[in-house]
Amino acid sequence: MSLETKDTGTTPKRRFNVLFGLTLFALLLVLWLVLSLATDSFWTGNNISNLLRQGSMIAILAIGQTFVIITGGIDLSVGAIVGFTSVIVAWLLAHGFPVWAAILITLGIGVCIGLFHGFGIVRLGLPPFIITLATLTSLRGIGLLITNGNTISIDNDPFTEFSRNDFAGVPNLFLMVVLVGIPAYIFLSHSRWGRYLFSVGSNAEASRLSGVNVKGTIYLAYTLSAVCASFVGLLLASRIGVGNAMQAEGWELQAIASSVIGGTSLFGAVGSIHGPLLGAFILATINNGANLLNVNSFWQRVITGVLIIVIVYFDQLRRRRR
Amino acid sequence: MTDHDISHRSSSGQSEDVSAAAAHLPILELRGLEKQYLGTHALKPADLAFKAGEIHAIVGENGAGKSTLIKLLTGVIPRTAGEILFRGEPVALTTPLEAIQHGINAVHQEVVLCPHLTVAANIFLGEEQRRFGLLQHRHMIREAQKILDDLGFALPAHALLSDLTIGQQQLIATARAATRGARFLIFDEPTAYLTREEAAQLFALIRRLQKSGVTIVYISHRMEEVFELADRVSILRDGRLVGTRNIGETNENELIGLMINRSIEQIYHKVPFTFGKTILETKNLTGNGFEDISLSVREGEIVGLYGLIGAGRSEFVTTIFGRHPKSSGKILWDGKEVRIERERDAIKLGIALAPESRRDQGLCLSLPVSLNLNLPIYKQLSRNVLISHREEARHADNQISDLRIKTSSRSASAASLSGGNQQKIVIGKWLNHGAKLFIFDEPTVGVDVGTKAEIYRLFSTLLENGAGIILISSYLPEVYELADTLHVFRRGHLVASHPHKSVTHEDILTQALGSASTDASTRN
Repeated sequence: MSLETKDTGTTPKRRFNVLFGLTLFALLLVLWLVLSLATDSFWTGNNISNLLRQGSMIAILAIGQTFVIITGGIDLSVGAIVGFTSVIVAWLLAHGFPVWAAILITLGIGVCIGLFHGFGIVRLGLPPFIITLATLTSLRGIGLLITNGNTISIDNDPFTEFSRNDFAGVPNLFLMVVLVGIPAYIFLSHSRWGRYLFSVGSNAEASRLSGVNVKGTIYLAYTLSAVCASFVGLLLASRIGVGNAMQAEGWELQAIASSVIGGTSLFGAVGSIHGPLLGAFILATINNGANLLNVNSFWQRVITGVLIIVIVYFDQLRRRRR
Repeated sequence: MTDHDISHRSSSGQSEDVSAAAAHLPILELRGLEKQYLGTHALKPADLAFKAGEIHAIVGENGAGKSTLIKLLTGVIPRTAGEILFRGEPVALTTPLEAIQHGINAVHQEVVLCPHLTVAANIFLGEEQRRFGLLQHRHMIREAQKILDDLGFALPAHALLSDLTIGQQQLIATARAATRGARFLIFDEPTAYLTREEAAQLFALIRRLQKSGVTIVYISHRMEEVFELADRVSILRDGRLVGTRNIGETNENELIGLMINRSIEQIYHKVPFTFGKTILETKNLTGNGFEDISLSVREGEIVGLYGLIGAGRSEFVTTIFGRHPKSSGKILWDGKEVRIERERDAIKLGIALAPESRRDQGLCLSLPVSLNLNLPIYKQLSRNVLISHREEARHADNQISDLRIKTSSRSASAASLSGGNQQKIVIGKWLNHGAKLFIFDEPTVGVDVGTKAEIYRLFSTLLENGAGIILISSYLPEVYELADTLHVFRRGHLVASHPHKSVTHEDILTQALGSASTDASTRN
């Protein structure tokens, strides 16, 4: 009996993943190259900062979404959470809470929403699609009730300036992606909880019989997603200076699209952190480029849809061949 | 059913008329039919002719090749070699549709119908009656009711299928097949979930079908049914057709003898160990699917659980493992009563379970071998929060080389391995965990002989280290040769216990099958 267990990290599978990541990265670079040749305004400091800011928030949502999708679920509520938490933080600031307290309370509310999703799935036995769809509409409603349909403006300069400022030439918002992305990577690839996310997504029964806390893992995934979303809610409130329950409409779909473009499988158990990040910035680049090229913004939606089909189709081909 | 029925067929009068009419005309003939999976024979070349209008029983142990044969005849899987002749003409039988078009139908043990539709809708599924493109609901219900009344089933045609019992659904499935112009009908253990009364109705229907010229293949574990219904019986063993008998010229003992493989292979590697203290004991343990089970496992002991599929053995062990709640009784670990409410409790005590179904319960198929092997021990592999990748790789590689798991690398997906190697992962993941009691549920199903031998040698290693083993198997020679104590399960009850090799195969099989005389008390 022959053993071919060479002690190398570059196994076929991992090489494929690296290859896929590189392909996405190359696609992003090609888009940038084409746009800088086609327009004068693309490759300017101002536009690049703008692009990074645009992509950052979806990127953070996509990271949270990816945890959920790896377990075989879906979180439709993230856009609503962004709008809702922007209202919460604006309300708290308007009522004289210090910035640090407002941030902590808002993130805490994110935790509660995520736990509620876990509760609905694990305890009530609802499909993830349904429970997160329900919170999507309810949270928008509660946000509107709190604001009475209006927006709450934020006149706290340190809070609103944060999103406009740079650190060493890099927009703060993009730094936030790094701040979320690195721990997320360590969590997913270097902690046992990351392994459990994959195992639950692959086969919950087998995981359970191997002693994995399946329910806890599901709670964890949805909580992380909701916390990421409430963090984005803070960033958005800071960027636009108001709290408005109807903001971030459709962002859940952009987050899911970014994640899927980044190689996450909606069947679960396949996904990474770098993939969704690249996916989010590819989408941001397309939108940005289309604006600069004066493409009708309605066409942008069509292009995004076609792109999702093409990229995911090629990913499926690659998987099937193995 | 009485003993009298078994020795003298009650229906002999009618069935001989029919077989006389269609005398010796084979409706379906197999010539050298065989099926291989990855080089192992699920069915060795078989020659068999089914006469038109006969009831032909097929018996054999689990894994003897019965289901393979059905799948080949109904076009579910392609054959590896051989010929099938239907009414003298060679047929391809490569798709289920082709089989149905020839009039070959199967009624399965599990009902494959739509539970949310009405009985009538199920009977006419795929052949709905329409007028101007619209469904004729009322007409179909009337028609269906007429069919059911004709067959003597007191069942409402307008009821939802899911409102009926499993047994009644089985009758509907049969009625459906009967109305489809089936000429050749295969029953796969149809009475497994039926009450006595429902079984009697089914038998009446089968005889009726036979009378109208349908050829019946009847697969069953239950000897009394075979003797009551069949004209002829064929016996399968280890994928080989070992014989065909006219029912009048054989008896239960001969059939059981033919079903069991007497040649005891060298692969059963048994080293006797002296038993240590009792590791686990159950006292009157009762739960869903089993009742009042008391047994114990000692250090160095293999406790075998034998029985038919559905006898309650898997339910019993998964309850010990905390997967299902018990309803009463006690579990003692190390002499102390313990509460096991979930799998993690059992694992913490030192119980390991290699479950029955590799694909559904044992493996994360899409994930790497190393993750599967390490899944129960990630807590031990991580310091603070982070996993030591080096330790993870080292543990996986150790198991891969110790168990000789054939894989391209530790990060290949579990799905890419063969069945035997997958089984090694299911077992191997518990070896680093330091468990004290190992539960193996059908560890050698779909595993080739070489891997079987390796798995048995592994048992010895575990026993030598002071562990105890509960071994569930539906393959009698395996538990018979390996178990120090052999418990026989039948319909959720522990019906007999034997020390190593103290009784014959025949005795055990008889206890597990429950011959008609001993059976009456436990059946509904």
